[in-house]
Amino acid sequence: MKVVTGVVGNDIHVVANRLMDLSLNARGYEVFNLGVNTYLEEFFDAAVETGADILLISSLNGEAEGWSREVKLLKAKYKTLDNIIMMIGGNLTVGSGNAEDIIPRYKNYGFDMVCHQVNLNTGLDMLEAYIKEHKTS
Amino acid sequence: MSLLQEEREIILSNENVDAFDFDEVEDFVKGANENLFISHHFATRDKMLVQPRGGFPTYAKQFALYEFFVDANVDVLPLTIDSNTRLNDYATAKKMLRLSEENEIDMLNGYPLVNHGYRTTRKMMTHFNHPVSLRHGTPDARLLIEMAIASGIFEIEGGPITYLLPYSKNFPLDKAFLYWKYVERVCANYSALNKPINRESFGPLTATLVPPSITIVIQLLEMLLSLEEGVKSFSVSFSQQGSMTQDIVTGTVIRKLAHHYARAIGCEDAAIHLVYHQWMGAFPMNKDSADQLINMSTVIASMVGADKIITKTREEASGIPTKEANALTVANTQYTLRILSGLPCIVDAEEEDMLTAEVHAIMEAVFNDPAYTLWRKVFNSIKNGVIDVPFSPHIINHNEMITIRDAEKNIRIIERGNVPIPDRCYAFAKAKCDLNKDTTSIINDIIHDIGIMQ
Repeated sequence: MKVVTGVVGNDIHVVANRLMDLSLNARGYEVFNLGVNTYLEEFFDAAVETGADILLISSLNGEAEGWSREVKLLKAKYKTLDNIIMMIGGNLTVGSGNAEDIIPRYKNYGFDMVCHQVNLNTGLDMLEAYIKEHKTS
Repeated sequence: MSLLQEEREIILSNENVDAFDFDEVEDFVKGANENLFISHHFATRDKMLVQPRGGFPTYAKQFALYEFFVDANVDVLPLTIDSNTRLNDYATAKKMLRLSEENEIDMLNGYPLVNHGYRTTRKMMTHFNHPVSLRHGTPDARLLIEMAIASGIFEIEGGPITYLLPYSKNFPLDKAFLYWKYVERVCANYSALNKPINRESFGPLTATLVPPSITIVIQLLEMLLSLEEGVKSFSVSFSQQGSMTQDIVTGTVIRKLAHHYARAIGCEDAAIHLVYHQWMGAFPMNKDSADQLINMSTVIASMVGADKIITKTREEASGIPTKEANALTVANTQYTLRILSGLPCIVDAEEEDMLTAEVHAIMEAVFNDPAYTLWRKVFNSIKNGVIDVPFSPHIINHNEMITIRDAEKNIRIIERGNVPIPDRCYAFAKAKCDLNKDTTSIINDIIHDIGIMQ
């Protein structure tokens, strides 16, 4: 399966992004890594261009909160993205917050899977379970 | 008028610069006190020079910080520049400086030198009469370094590779080389008037599992790019890596090869210095642990035989340090240096041989690039992955090299990508690591290896 990934906004924290790239490759995905400092339009353009099955956005400094509000609006402009799996992970708020509040908020923004401060491999296991579940249903 | 002088006049006729007086600045540099030149201190003192980091937006706070540093017996003062100035956004820096002055809240993470101007800043520099090092991170530092030298700041940190690959995703690398060529030439020209202006490269790079061979190659290349423009005093640097042996070997090899390659281009008259950065990776939140880590760094710097050490503070994990915490590290580091004596001489011939062979092989590949100028050879080598910096966010970086720590915490290359690591060195490095694991376990090891000091 094809995954487009990257770090959203003006966030330049690159370490986890590189590790995700390696981990996704090791798990057999075809990875298109846009790296740090990536804007939403670039994510969606890349998803269309590559025919991605999954869009995996990450954030370390928490600025995803601001950008994510525009996800639904922007995504609606693209005709071929209705079936893409939308996932987001990292530190999903500036400062501190708890997952019980954050997850529903991001689901509202248009994400199917939300991982707030979840260990990398746990998050990728969750993705695999999600894909399996939606194949059989 | 020379082309360089024409370019200088264009750069300095900037709306944020209040009538740059070339003749007056030249006279100032000619007559400047020798104590302002770090090159003079390197030449005349035999102790390791201690330099903290630090920059505040307002003149008053920067002045107060320097008073604390001088009380703590500092050798070299830092001037850290704010992030807007680093991106040449002087208008924002101006606005934020005003807000900082009016509200007693710091709205900038450093000193906006261009907005303060050289006439004002020079008063502070000549008042303290200490050598000052310019710390920034600017790909296009042409205006900034003109203002710095005119202010009496005679050490300029940075370089086209080390100030770009760790900090930027998109800034064009070829432009950075040309902008830094200007910096080298201006430094070289001023160096003829008095003691030399010292240039220093930024060896820590991403401070995340960068193997010593990559660090050394980049240090040597920035040194050569500087010396070939006429700079006569240059510092190569690296940061604490995690293994004392690897640090000592790195220090030995970088010093030996810096002289070797300087000689090879006929620049043996240039003075080359070695700078050691205390741990630059993720710091412990616990401030007492942070103090212990800082102290350990100082001991290793002594084992390495560094000419200058750049300090961290116990508040590293929580943000920009207070002047009190910053001065405390200076005093503590001076104390450790004063009581340390009778250091053993450690030599690891096999590790030295391996590292030397790796560096020579990469340097040879760079020199063999068919481009006509050194900067283009280096540019091409980064573009095609002959030089690959782990965890660089820049789009031009190859990101194929993978490194990991062995049992002694030495950083080892387990995937070389396009970097021409000789086969015997590659085999030696891999043999030190347990590679019979699946990728997921190796990635967990890498995560652990990044956070070893926490």
